[in-house]
Amino acid sequence: MPPSFLEESRRAALEVYEREPVPTWRRSGFWTTTLRHLRLDELEPRRYEAVASYEDLPAVLRTALAGEELGGLIVQRGATSVYSWLDPALAEQGVVLTSLEQAAEEHPELVERWYMKRLSAEEGKFSAGTAALWTGGAFLYVPPEVRIEKPIQTVYLIDEPGTVQYAHTLGVVARFAECRVREYCLAPDLEGQALHAGAFELYLEEGAQVALAHLQDWGKGEVYDISTKRVEVGRDAHCSWVPLHLGGHLTKQTLDLITAERGSDMRQNGLYFTEGDEHLDLFTTDQHEKGDTTGDTVWKGALTGSSRASYEGLIRIDYGAQNTHTYLQTHSMLLSPKAKADAIPSLIVETDNVSASHGGTVGEVDEELVFYMMTRGIPRTEAVRILVEGYFEPVVSKLGDEALEELVRAKVTAKLSAAEREVEAYIAERA
Amino acid sequence: MSLEIQNLHVRVEDKEILKGVDLSVSKGETHALMGPNGSGKSTLANTIMGNPNYVVTEGKVLLNGEDLTEAAPDERARAGLFLAFQYPATIPGVSVANFLRTAVNAGRDEPLRVMDFGKLLRQNMELLKIDPAFNKRYLNEGFSGGEKKRAEILQMAMLEPEIAVLDETDSGLDIDALRIVSEGVNALRGPNAGFLVITHYTRILRYVLPDFVHIMLNGRIVREGGSELADDLEEKGYDFIREEVEAGAA
Repeated sequence: MPPSFLEESRRAALEVYEREPVPTWRRSGFWTTTLRHLRLDELEPRRYEAVASYEDLPAVLRTALAGEELGGLIVQRGATSVYSWLDPALAEQGVVLTSLEQAAEEHPELVERWYMKRLSAEEGKFSAGTAALWTGGAFLYVPPEVRIEKPIQTVYLIDEPGTVQYAHTLGVVARFAECRVREYCLAPDLEGQALHAGAFELYLEEGAQVALAHLQDWGKGEVYDISTKRVEVGRDAHCSWVPLHLGGHLTKQTLDLITAERGSDMRQNGLYFTEGDEHLDLFTTDQHEKGDTTGDTVWKGALTGSSRASYEGLIRIDYGAQNTHTYLQTHSMLLSPKAKADAIPSLIVETDNVSASHGGTVGEVDEELVFYMMTRGIPRTEAVRILVEGYFEPVVSKLGDEALEELVRAKVTAKLSAAEREVEAYIAERA
Repeated sequence: MSLEIQNLHVRVEDKEILKGVDLSVSKGETHALMGPNGSGKSTLANTIMGNPNYVVTEGKVLLNGEDLTEAAPDERARAGLFLAFQYPATIPGVSVANFLRTAVNAGRDEPLRVMDFGKLLRQNMELLKIDPAFNKRYLNEGFSGGEKKRAEILQMAMLEPEIAVLDETDSGLDIDALRIVSEGVNALRGPNAGFLVITHYTRILRYVLPDFVHIMLNGRIVREGGSELADDLEEKGYDFIREEVEAGAA
């Protein structure tokens, strides 16, 4: 039996879900994120048998993980948590990595203490839907002062059209613990619609240090992703977060980092690459609730095809959070005349004695740089490829995770070569 | 074997900058092209390399008899031309070593073996007294003026062009940097390479002694001679030549 706090929370969330209409998000000017093509009624949660060994996991996942050594791995396929493994040495130190369903039964006090501390079903229809309807899920607990070297990996996989996946990850990294956490959202190129409605919450207690990466690659199918991801950074704790958006038909995500106690520090280095008719709508908040905190947010994107990407980044410094230093910058590179990008940095400061600055650019490939490279014998197409890879490199090299770095580089290269003719024609036309 | 510029007329944004330039640089020769600011020197350098912002309205650029007037910059480079820029571009996120490997291999049928490339790079960096740590830095990002110019000469050394154009490579260099860059250029001189050294001042020509000197004024070459012409210029200045030319025209 699931604990009563969960039952109660699900019931309340379901009421909100049923009450709220399917939302449309309006942005400045030309921008609207709409779900009018999503046939929500035709989607259903799909259940699968658990798999006994890593080798039995679907290929799209094994390719992404490339047989790398992990500290732990938990995989959700459709609605079912199908695989979980944790290094026994870590289990012995008290590390927990299970489905959230299982954690609610085995560690109810721990789960109840943190569950949806920073998330609310009242945030919207899909936040409520996820809170009411999630199955499987993932739960990570790293006890005080435990240091984990190898990455802890969670995976949400959709591999059949017609799937709706309500996902919920809860992570707690206790006092002075250290770890790397990676969450991948993956699908092969589906023929048909699917929806991933996700919630991710991670709490860093005093002095904890976490390197967090999110990789989204839903393939070329019609996968919708509506998610909220939120990270709370405790006293003197540090979180470096790298969200990577490398594929998804329509994505609407809210990504928030909260420095909640004095001395806490956050870095966010985000990257996106949209192609075809993909639509990406990101809203990030760098929220400082207490003083003496620091933040640094850098987002870089590139667009091909007729894709659209809107990035809105808010720095919010609450009343009394003095001596906060934070920076936010966002850059988008258009590689096609039909692509459209928005970069909207904004600032709400309710206190004095802080330093906060932000900037946003939307640009194209710099023809002067292309000329320079061509004078060294490098053909135009290759020059453009090198420039785009170089543009992303400062973000990619911050991953500090070689396997993931290589995965991202390969993906960027593949996307560029897929769009090679189109990019070439565009740049030749401007030259 | 040579670069030939024939009756070259060039416009930039509807303004005619070059008004009929003839110039020929053969392998084994070093030419200096001198002139005051705005005389058209950099326009000539950019046009030789095929910068799309410069429109050739008349005349030709030939390399070894092959007409390159309409060729793309990368074709010119692979044919054996090189331009060391006055203001080199910064390529963010691309290390010096990676950039050089891509450029060197672009001009070859078979890519150079990694070890051979490494050896070649080390040799050339030693020649130009460049710190090995340079390799890993992003090309020209945060480089000082002197480092940028040395990076240009390093690229030239790696690409081994038949004809290299050095556009104001001496500008912004202190005397030590100028000497290092000049020594680098001198080390590359020989029967298989020709140079066109473009400069406003005579300073670099004390280190890189030219075989021929051409003086450009107002989009035309108005005086030609041996290295003594540079000494003449040093003594009398551009105004003297301008007056002479105007007197001749009148």
